[in-house]
Amino acid sequence: MESFAVRYRNLLVLLVLLVAQILGLAMQVRRANSGQGDGQEVRLIRLWANGIVSPPEKMLHNTGSGVSWIWNNYFYLRHVREQNADLQKTIDRLRLEQAALLEDAKQGQRLQTLLDFQQKYIYKTLPAEVIGTSGTEQSRVFTINKGKKDGIDRDMAVITPDGIVGKVRDVFGHTAQVLAINDQSSGAGVIMESTRIRGVLRGNAQGRPEIVDVISDQRIKPGDRVLTAGGDQIFPRGLPVGIVEKVVNDPERDGFVDVILKASAHLDQLDEVLVITATEPQFSQEQKQDIATSEALKGAEAEKQKTSEGMAEKLPGLIDPNLPPDQQPLNDTSNPNPVTRPPVAIHPDRFTPVNAAPPAGAAQDGGQAAPKKPATPKSGESNPAPQGDKQ
Amino acid sequence: MSVLSADARREFEIHRYPALIYALVPVLAVVLQAWLPRMLGRFAWFDLPLVITVFFALSRRNPIQGSILGGVLGIFQDALTGHPIGINGIAKTLVGYLAATIGILVNVENHAVRLFLTFVLSLVGSVTYYFVVRFLLGMSMDTNWMAELYKAVGNSVIALVLFPVLDRTKIRD
Repeated sequence: MESFAVRYRNLLVLLVLLVAQILGLAMQVRRANSGQGDGQEVRLIRLWANGIVSPPEKMLHNTGSGVSWIWNNYFYLRHVREQNADLQKTIDRLRLEQAALLEDAKQGQRLQTLLDFQQKYIYKTLPAEVIGTSGTEQSRVFTINKGKKDGIDRDMAVITPDGIVGKVRDVFGHTAQVLAINDQSSGAGVIMESTRIRGVLRGNAQGRPEIVDVISDQRIKPGDRVLTAGGDQIFPRGLPVGIVEKVVNDPERDGFVDVILKASAHLDQLDEVLVITATEPQFSQEQKQDIATSEALKGAEAEKQKTSEGMAEKLPGLIDPNLPPDQQPLNDTSNPNPVTRPPVAIHPDRFTPVNAAPPAGAAQDGGQAAPKKPATPKSGESNPAPQGDKQ
Repeated sequence: MSVLSADARREFEIHRYPALIYALVPVLAVVLQAWLPRMLGRFAWFDLPLVITVFFALSRRNPIQGSILGGVLGIFQDALTGHPIGINGIAKTLVGYLAATIGILVNVENHAVRLFLTFVLSLVGSVTYYFVVRFLLGMSMDTNWMAELYKAVGNSVIALVLFPVLDRTKIRD
């Protein structure tokens, strides 16, 4: 027995190592299938690996960023002053616009709450830099330089201004791992903008995002925009995902197609990303102040309109029924800004002032019968019957 | 020399390196493997931990050490992915064992042999990875075999450059 163990020592050690790892895999898969996350031991291994790999990665990343920063901030400063002035103007304008939009968003959300909508808005994002990858083609996972101590949590959405990128998978102290949308184990609810067809997004073996298990539909065309559907509780609704590049038949299921997308975000060349840390209203002090200013301005405008309407009601009209005709405001010569008199009517009608005499030759000019002079309305009479109708 | 048995030959040709090399090179390989793809994007056709596993296994000519080194590096790689830990570990354990076993039998000082061995062992690693994922774990994961082929070529080229550099660090009697 001893000689057997000695003779096949190498092979036995190999078998022990392989069996141990297979058992470990089986336990992990069992945990995953039962809906539990990584076990304590697995999490510990991930933590150690991250602890060993992240510091040198950060160092390499910071060195590169430092060189780039020195170049951009000390050597390459052409037109910076002009750009700065332009940007400051843009910021001032955008701040006012943003305040108005935030106010509208608040109102929209209040209305949606009344209607029991489950819409999420992006209220707070945290910029982060990509410092490393998983290093394998089979896993589209990358590491960012923000972690739990920066407020990052598991399952937070990660985006760029161009489109969605992925979701936070594992969080460590100062770093976090993000599962990209082109990973084969990822999943996100999406909707095609023009056809409103919904589907689940995941990555394929080539690292391209695709919508899987879509029933074949002739309306799906290359170039269609794809947006997040908002039903996965991770990505807010309406964010750009990509455009349809091609539609291929599902090799495993008849009547179904896979829609391959060109991602809106540059998934192969990510430098900076935004982590959505809040989808509930959390305004900064400055934003609150801007909103208050905007509301005050809107309130002042409304107050001004109300006051002008009130004054219009109180101001005297052109004809005061309590005054004799010669003392009417219309005839008041003491007014420094006299009211322009209307031209004398050639053919008086019911709208003509009662004391206005027709021109002398008016009746003769046309050779037609002039209308009768309307009777002076008695006090309290209104809406005299039109004379012409009676004739 | 030709009359020496495999065990005697192994004892005779074992290469030894400073402890710093044993500690630093594998860690550097894992770090660079995680960092360089960020720069190179989809053109990162290499697997530095596998190259290092092959190098030390061939140099040490010890299947146990080769298996353990491959297993540890593979597990570290798995820890950086979102996948279960052990997939790369199993693949590289096997690669380390095979490299050390072959290293006993053939002359691994020859550059052409090293190039060929690295290429073949890279493909063995990829096939093992695929086998574990599809058949042991039952995961619905497709593999881009063309990328795996490019990776094997990339590993061979890196080995051709890196092995002579690392050879310079070995302790000479």
